[in-house]
Amino acid sequence: MSQAVRRLTAARVRRVVQVLLLAVFFALVLLTRFKAAAPVASPDGKAESLPALQAPAPLLKIFFLIDPLITAVTALTAHGVPKIALWSLLTIAVTVLLGRVFCGWICPMGTIHAIGSRLFRRRKNRKGFGDWSRWQLAKYYLLIGLLAGAIFGLHWVCVLDPIVWLTRTTSTALVPAAQWAVKESSTALYQSDPGIGPVRIDKIVEPAYQFTNKYVFGLEGSDHDPAYIGGGLILALFAIMVALNAWRPRFWCRYLCPLGALLGIFSWRPLLRRNVKSESCNQCGLCGISCHGAAAIAPGGAWKPMECLGCMDCGESCRRGSLSFKFVLPWRKEPKLESIDLGRRGMIVAAISGITALAAMRINPQARGRIFNPTLIRPPGARPEREFLQRCTSCGLCIKVCPTGGLQPTLTEAGLEGLWTPMLVPRIGCCDYTCNLCGQVCPTEAIVPLALDEKHATSIGLASFDVTRCIPYAYGRNCMVCEEHCPIPDKAIYCLEVEIQDRSGERKTIKRPYVDPQKCIGCGECEYVCPFKDRPAIRVTSANETRHPDNQPILGGKEDYSQG
Amino acid sequence: MSQYSRRDFLTHSAAGALVLASHGILTNAAFAAEPAEMAIAKWSGPKDLDPEQLKEAAVKLTENAIQAIGGLKRFVSKGSVVWIKPNIAWDSKPETAANTNPDVVATLIRLCFDAGAKTVKVGDNPCSPVAAKTYASSGISAAAKPLGAEVVFLDRSRFKDTEIKGQRIKSIPIYPDILDCDLVINVPVIKHHKMSELTMCMKNYMGVIEKRRTFHQDMPTCLADITRFMKPRISVLDAVRVLKAHGPQGGNLADVELKLAVAAGTDVVALDAWGAEIMGRKPTDIPSVKKGAETGLGKIDYKSFAKEIAVS
Repeated sequence: MSQAVRRLTAARVRRVVQVLLLAVFFALVLLTRFKAAAPVASPDGKAESLPALQAPAPLLKIFFLIDPLITAVTALTAHGVPKIALWSLLTIAVTVLLGRVFCGWICPMGTIHAIGSRLFRRRKNRKGFGDWSRWQLAKYYLLIGLLAGAIFGLHWVCVLDPIVWLTRTTSTALVPAAQWAVKESSTALYQSDPGIGPVRIDKIVEPAYQFTNKYVFGLEGSDHDPAYIGGGLILALFAIMVALNAWRPRFWCRYLCPLGALLGIFSWRPLLRRNVKSESCNQCGLCGISCHGAAAIAPGGAWKPMECLGCMDCGESCRRGSLSFKFVLPWRKEPKLESIDLGRRGMIVAAISGITALAAMRINPQARGRIFNPTLIRPPGARPEREFLQRCTSCGLCIKVCPTGGLQPTLTEAGLEGLWTPMLVPRIGCCDYTCNLCGQVCPTEAIVPLALDEKHATSIGLASFDVTRCIPYAYGRNCMVCEEHCPIPDKAIYCLEVEIQDRSGERKTIKRPYVDPQKCIGCGECEYVCPFKDRPAIRVTSANETRHPDNQPILGGKEDYSQG
Repeated sequence: MSQYSRRDFLTHSAAGALVLASHGILTNAAFAAEPAEMAIAKWSGPKDLDPEQLKEAAVKLTENAIQAIGGLKRFVSKGSVVWIKPNIAWDSKPETAANTNPDVVATLIRLCFDAGAKTVKVGDNPCSPVAAKTYASSGISAAAKPLGAEVVFLDRSRFKDTEIKGQRIKSIPIYPDILDCDLVINVPVIKHHKMSELTMCMKNYMGVIEKRRTFHQDMPTCLADITRFMKPRISVLDAVRVLKAHGPQGGNLADVELKLAVAAGTDVVALDAWGAEIMGRKPTDIPSVKKGAETGLGKIDYKSFAKEIAVS
């Protein structure tokens, strides 16, 4: 074969496509951030600088919109999906025709594991690496179990969805880690300002830092210091999953990925099939060793399209040119296919396990709506907790877009069922008064997109003073930083003058702050700015949240827009 | 090559020392001894202005106030770097008067360049959590950029602890680029403020520092400390629109009043005293003004030297 033809093998085209799409994926996650817009004057004299996204919201969510697992599970749990998510049916159609090419060509998580497998590839003794193993059935059982749970309302399979997993890892671990490295190193240089003779190092480093900060991380002019609770755990799990490629290539894709399993079911009899010319094949087994999905028993065995990722590396590995992919009509028997038998017993056990897992997650008063976690403050527009959990994939896009960094992934606050879902931690960052981006980026409308005036009429919690710490109460001095920062135009925090006696008996007048529960929407700006950093003297809890009538101690709640 | 004698060495060193010393004396003297100047430009034309006319009025008022104190050439030397420090504290639109009027800021930028400034930077340390949004909402970014000014966001990691040796505050993180500039023009807006009664020139210096949340426990002393350290040379007080209540953040257009005045001057206390009167308060009732006068930062009695100009 001539050199020129070799350059154009399908496998090489695939690698380019994969890397490009991975780059697009990372770029879209990085671009999931706000864009400052100048105020636009409206005819009634009110000017609003609406928060805008760096890129159109559907583009930012594109990988979610073509993910059929999210659509299927959300349809099962919430009995409804955003119309735009029906684009994922296209992926199913492609899979029916071409097999799991989504896994081999498009999926960014797949690309990461393909790169990982290549990095860890052994030079010797690779025999058997492409052999199919019964453990590959694990992903189908996992899928069946979690889908059975989904029928009863468990959305948890999305925690394991590869698009969700990689988005979450990128936004809450990879980006913060990279940003930290850039910022710490350049800050150290800036603050110490070392020079080599007359040359100041920060004259070179500062512009580079500013460029990265502005264009890569989009953090110029922002208090947001991307750091997330449990980000280390998310990074560690991801690192373990990549490292497992050293043991078995594409470990995640072969054994665990529930999306791969779903697409595997749909590639039962694809039209694009692997075809071996038996007259020239010498059964060397190279195709089997190079197989990403362990889809064929080498040598000479039948091909399992449900495990084939369509990567075309087998065709490239064949030294005799006797292996190719070709379109075949579905009823044709040749080339030979082998489907996977999951077994009735296995499927029943898996389904029962999934439902049991759901029951286990619900043996918890909080999951049953009997108690409310005061620290579980959901972003504005979040649906009532049960409904919210039936939609939230825990992808972390809202966490990424939050301009203050106040949205954080939960660990235990929402129970295991709500692992890594968003919660507002006001002392890290408050809910910005003129921002509604979390609802705009949510791929499954677990957070309903709210207009700003709707957001301003939605409580996510209620602030209360800790009078044993609050400076005017506990220490007899003026403070009022919270009142000053309260963003409600006519102030949810107000002050009353009181006369007190100080230690020497002298009388003086100070201003004491109070919360007006009818006005407070729980944005947490007061908690964020409180001079007490360890345990703020004004704290927001989930009390009075609009989405839960049962969690409202104050008469006269606000209208619930999350139902709309 | 002639030898450099001991005598030459001594005379030269003495001369050098004298130059250095006198330079110090002279600059100090210039700061302290030059009589305070102040000009108040008030709008005398019709009061019902549409947005376009209001913009024009803000520009004219600023130009006239600066003109009346002798123009910016007095303060801006050729090729210098100027930092314009407006109040860009809150994420709200210009109409709410929570931030300095963007047209006043834009006019000053233009006048700085006209006076020969090489670089004009505009920046503040906002109170609202997202500076980029705050700058945009205030309209100041959009007004400053086309004129060639650098709109600078104060990076929190770039503040440097600076000794200011004040009565309350010994050292505080200050944004170093502001201190490195040849001139800082302080351009606040007059607003109601729950804690300091009113926020004007002295209060505006809180925008160059960090760790300011404890200031509220003794606002007048903290403001006097930071103002003294910043050595104000020129301030422009914006009273085109003022915020009468629910300050310093506001948000209700009902709390905003059109005053159509701009004052410029060298004495922050005098300017703040005028600002207090504009808001219908006695200057001595404003703790920071009183403290400023007591500690020698300026004079409350602005009427003895301020010029008043009618602009239409």
